[in-house]
Amino acid sequence: MRMNRCRSSSKRERQSWLQNGINYWRHRIRGYELALCTDAWNPRLRTGALYRHFSRLYTGYDVLRKVSFKLPEVVRRSLWTIIAVMPLLARAFDLLVLGGGSGGLACARRAAELGARTALIERGPLGGTCVNVGCVPKKDKIEIIPGSASFSDGSKPTVEVNGQQYTASHIVIATGGRPDVPTETEIPGADFGITSDGFFNLEDLPRQAVVVGAGYIAVELAGIFNHLGCKTSLVIRYDEVLRKFDSMISSNCTTELESDGVALLKRSQVCNVSRNSSGRLVVTVVRGNAADHILSDVDCLVWAIGRKPNCQDLNMSKLGISLDSTGHICTDEYQNTNHSGIYALGDVCGKALLTPVAIAAGRKLANRLFGGEANAKLDYKNIPTVVFSHPPIATIGLTEGEAEAKYGQNIKVYRSTFTPLYYAVTEHKRKCVMKLVCANANEQVVGLHMQGMGCDEILQGFAVAIQMGATKANFDATLAIHPTSAEELVTLR
Amino acid sequence: MARLVRPFRSRWYHRFSEKYEYDLLVIGGGSGGLACAKEAAQYGKRVAVMDYVKPSPQGSVWGLGGTCVNVGCVPKKLMHHAALLGAGVRDARSYGWDLPAEATVDWSTLASKLRDHVRSLNWGHRVQLQDKHVKYFNLRGSFLDKHSIRGVSSTKEVLLLAENVVLAVGLRPKFPENVPGAVEHGITSDDIFWLQKSPGKSLVVGGGYVALETAGFLRGLGLDTTLMVRSCCLRGFDQEMATLVSTSLREEGVKFLSGCRPQRVQRSQEGRLQVTWQRRQNVSEEEQKDEWDEKEGQEDFDTVMWAVGRQPVTKDLQLEKAGVQTEATTGKVLVGLHDETSCPGVYAIGDVAEGRPELTPVAIKAGRLLAQRLFAGSTTLMDYTNVPTTVFTPLELGSVGLTEEKAVTLLSPDLIEVYHAYYKPLEYSVPNRNSNQCYIKVVCEREGKQRILGIHFLGPNAGEVTQGFALALRCGASYSDLKSTCGIHPTCAEELIKLQITKRSGKDPTVTGC
Repeated sequence: MRMNRCRSSSKRERQSWLQNGINYWRHRIRGYELALCTDAWNPRLRTGALYRHFSRLYTGYDVLRKVSFKLPEVVRRSLWTIIAVMPLLARAFDLLVLGGGSGGLACARRAAELGARTALIERGPLGGTCVNVGCVPKKDKIEIIPGSASFSDGSKPTVEVNGQQYTASHIVIATGGRPDVPTETEIPGADFGITSDGFFNLEDLPRQAVVVGAGYIAVELAGIFNHLGCKTSLVIRYDEVLRKFDSMISSNCTTELESDGVALLKRSQVCNVSRNSSGRLVVTVVRGNAADHILSDVDCLVWAIGRKPNCQDLNMSKLGISLDSTGHICTDEYQNTNHSGIYALGDVCGKALLTPVAIAAGRKLANRLFGGEANAKLDYKNIPTVVFSHPPIATIGLTEGEAEAKYGQNIKVYRSTFTPLYYAVTEHKRKCVMKLVCANANEQVVGLHMQGMGCDEILQGFAVAIQMGATKANFDATLAIHPTSAEELVTLR
Repeated sequence: MARLVRPFRSRWYHRFSEKYEYDLLVIGGGSGGLACAKEAAQYGKRVAVMDYVKPSPQGSVWGLGGTCVNVGCVPKKLMHHAALLGAGVRDARSYGWDLPAEATVDWSTLASKLRDHVRSLNWGHRVQLQDKHVKYFNLRGSFLDKHSIRGVSSTKEVLLLAENVVLAVGLRPKFPENVPGAVEHGITSDDIFWLQKSPGKSLVVGGGYVALETAGFLRGLGLDTTLMVRSCCLRGFDQEMATLVSTSLREEGVKFLSGCRPQRVQRSQEGRLQVTWQRRQNVSEEEQKDEWDEKEGQEDFDTVMWAVGRQPVTKDLQLEKAGVQTEATTGKVLVGLHDETSCPGVYAIGDVAEGRPELTPVAIKAGRLLAQRLFAGSTTLMDYTNVPTTVFTPLELGSVGLTEEKAVTLLSPDLIEVYHAYYKPLEYSVPNRNSNQCYIKVVCEREGKQRILGIHFLGPNAGEVTQGFALALRCGASYSDLKSTCGIHPTCAEELIKLQITKRSGKDPTVTGC
């Protein structure tokens, strides 16, 4: 309905315009569906006009239009009334999933397989952050609702998308996360930097890049830049990267980055970013008591300082869902939030930010809610992780430090450092480091950490065994495959 | 494990006071022999190793370390890496690297680098023996009786008296019988790594892993390679996987002469090797009754390599003087559960022992366990079940446990569930490489938790992938253990825990997305 002035001098037209105007405003207020109900019975609005009227507000009613004009008028108008009222009635499902990323999709698909009426709300392209995009769950009979979800009022937990209400016995929040970036107030010129999302959209290889952060994303991106031929600097707040990993890994990875040619700026933070006259960036880095370090002619600055959960638009305060200090949704081991019937999984919970973890948690939850497996939950204890640094890092279980804290002196650590056979004939050699952390008298393997060529493919099988509770004796009893790097793990002494 | 505590005695005391000069004499300085010797030395025993390499018919000879270090696993894997790098260079262009479309290999550079590394390993082994006070004799050994061994070389002769003797002499390549010119003109795996110049257009004869791996890396290095196979490839491996391996070799460009046997090898007028063969007309139940085509095939090659099997070379050892019995057909030394031969005090480990898997890690472990049983009071026996292996063809095959055929024979088809998948390694997508042979198969029991009986993985880095799963199998893993483990993404190894299509269902096992 357009709100332009009525230019007609005809009384009839002016009346009509006024009437439409009044109706328009009625439509704008809450309960506009009720107004539409009366419109459905407005004798001045015939079929065609009714259709145009409704189609402005709702899509997909072409079928109804084709059907309705053949029907008696009373039936026709009743139909339009029902359609008008439908949005008032929240559409009910067994399961509503907020977020179509790895975790959300996996949960929705499993639930649909188990017979639950499922809807999935996603505001972007399906697939989320996971590389394997393109899982179209049409065949799983999941209703995809494009749009942004937010919780709204209602006796039952209700989610609103584009004005339409939805409820479900179970609502799963799997909205994932996004890169954290400093604000302009925190660091002037911060907006000149990009994030990991922007990294994949770079058209050209920068000549000089600065990556800020010490987590795995920063390490991977710095490694890629460096090996593709870009002069790379990595700005970290402390002395080592990957500080949450086992000490052998963080120390070895830091050394490997430096020997690879990445300029590692330790105990440093970016305090200013500006653009010079040639359009390239000037990055000022502050280092404790030392003088500021200026990096000029930087083509690309990447913020990889962490990730934030995507839940600020959900309006969760309506339901009082509790968040932790970093804004992630708090859940128990069964993915329950503090509100009954509402669950959360994946990156939005902030625990083990990995695709297979989200997928596994999603499937376990669906099994628990709809598959009769009352105790189904994901064990977060031994989650295998790989960092695609150069060479790759693979890790599972407790670090040596964590094991010491948990088991005290009751631990035994086995280590190996060797040069893989591949480097036998090369000038540049890169060693492989491995550590096995065992606890208790039976030397149960509680942690395995390694960095070296091929470690990304090595870990999976060991993850299965460690999950089963393998001990050092089991490792020793397994025959080696020769020649490989993996065999070192079963021949540790 | 109880350790016998013996009072310390100096070596001189032993030499003059005890009957035997050595507590242990190991004949054969390969994987098994060296491991046994070093382990025994740890317990303070007087140990000697006698190692001698009889030159191959082409004159190849090498230092301490045995087959694995000199003419087996180590140089083979380095050649395999070199071949894969060639494929990597071709792929690099798809990834945007500015490199020439085709790269060639300088065989002499590669071979000399390999030789240097092997020599450094020879040296490393000698230093290790010295550090552990193990006496090393580079002499050809033979028995005078079960405790007396004579060692000779062209310049030296010694007589050693040992309380215990371990035979770890390994095997050497066979030459085909009844093929004139085979020995004179052909080479074997003993020679291929020592060639000074490129083998050129090559014919590899054989169907085992040695033949397939060699044909694979020769082709990968850019050489015109033909593989002549009499019947099937990789006998003893899962045949479905073996067929995929053969197909992958064909895709690489290896030419196959299937169902053929060589007749003779002679020098052609141009100085090349002219090989004549017969093709099999039809297959019969017994190999001896196969019918062979009268018409012969013929082609010229620069190099002919025989990979038709390996056999023990024990004639010079004079085993009969010690009363050590060998198996009639294979010639290998007959051993019991404790690695003992028919002569008390003489043991045999590694490839030369009858019925043992011919693998380095098996020999190493058997050697160590034997030393522990002899000198440290241990009773642990070697467990030869579920031995993991990897065939290092360009597309690698990793296996552990039962083949599908064996599982079906041991249990009926109704009691088996086979999970399988064709997958595409992520790194193949950019260069658009063919992944039709990237295949995984896990054979399980059908009932209950579905205990895993065998795992077979064909794909890049199969060796690295399979090791951990071999451990899981040792721990008694079941299909449900695979499903309850989180995958590592994106890798090829995770495909093993994502398996869900069974052969029984008849569904398409191709992996699509998440």
